[in-house]
Amino acid sequence: MQAIKALGAKAPSTVLNVLKKGAFAPVVGQLRQTHLPAPNPNERRPYSPFQDTNNMAEYAVARLDDLLNWGRKNSMWPMTFGLACCAVEMMHIAAPRYDMDRFGVVFRASPRQSDVMIVAGTLTNKMAPALRKVYDQMPDPRWVISMGSCANGGGYYHYSYSVVRGCDRIVPVDIYVPGCPPSAEALMYGILQLQKKVKRMKTVQIWYRK
Amino acid sequence: MSLGKYLALDKLSNFFNIIKQNGGIRASLYKMYRQDELKDGVLVGEDKFGNKYYENPRYFYGSNRWVEYSDKYNMDYDGSQVPAEWFGWLHYKTDLPPHMDPSRPKYKWMIEFTENMSGTTGQYTPYSTTRPKVEPWIPKRKSNA
Repeated sequence: MQAIKALGAKAPSTVLNVLKKGAFAPVVGQLRQTHLPAPNPNERRPYSPFQDTNNMAEYAVARLDDLLNWGRKNSMWPMTFGLACCAVEMMHIAAPRYDMDRFGVVFRASPRQSDVMIVAGTLTNKMAPALRKVYDQMPDPRWVISMGSCANGGGYYHYSYSVVRGCDRIVPVDIYVPGCPPSAEALMYGILQLQKKVKRMKTVQIWYRK
Repeated sequence: MSLGKYLALDKLSNFFNIIKQNGGIRASLYKMYRQDELKDGVLVGEDKFGNKYYENPRYFYGSNRWVEYSDKYNMDYDGSQVPAEWFGWLHYKTDLPPHMDPSRPKYKWMIEFTENMSGTTGQYTPYSTTRPKVEPWIPKRKSNA
């Protein structure tokens, strides 16, 4: 967003026209609601992203949210959905060198007990109903990491007759990990980014506002 | 081999040395909490964000260079906060840290390093520079109220 703002006068007139017509307005509005302000590199960062509380009740629900998010982000059990070669890299982060267990991420081969699904690999048309079914079986605070080019947008198989062009056509995706296949470090970074995302969830605060 | 080393007493002295270098028991425990690791090393340099870079060849290659993120990042540190100048040294692309390397290019068109802004309003949002093929439908308001 700031890139668009900074672009300002330099932007081609078509872009400005589209901006004026409000094509991006929903996107911008949503960004303002769900995203944190851009961090200042020279500012001390507090643990909690919820700092602007006006009264005691808001403060209390913000701290409750912190507690809830702390619990959620430190024990995310991924449902393994290894579809192709990316699954090998997904196995690597479970192995001692990258050791995802230190972040409380433990593979759980059952959708009923897992929080996050890592879609690793090419999603074919034939597999898509199974993917959706597994996603539907997961209990509610659930997240999806799309791992690799094939899961992000079809990748190498984008023009194939039998491949879904991105698993976000089937399930809502939280984190896209680029790469073909992404290294285990990249997937690890994706998991850390998901932890950051979980940290700013406002479950109790939204309940309170309602 | 000296007797102390033969009896593995140097491990003990290393242990006390590490705690001393990290600033006592309290500070060591805080560092353990923050970065799950306690090492002793030589401070090689510090970047403009306050991250400190250490080296100790006693550790195995791959873990003998490391970064301790600035205190102001608190628990919100991540790998993208290492600026580009230090990335090469930290990843063994070069042995010369930026302040000792005279051959690094510095052009005025180089932009300021930023960390990964995903999830904030500063994040990169792709946009198209070509004319859109679809005219979006913007419903008319019934009144001006």
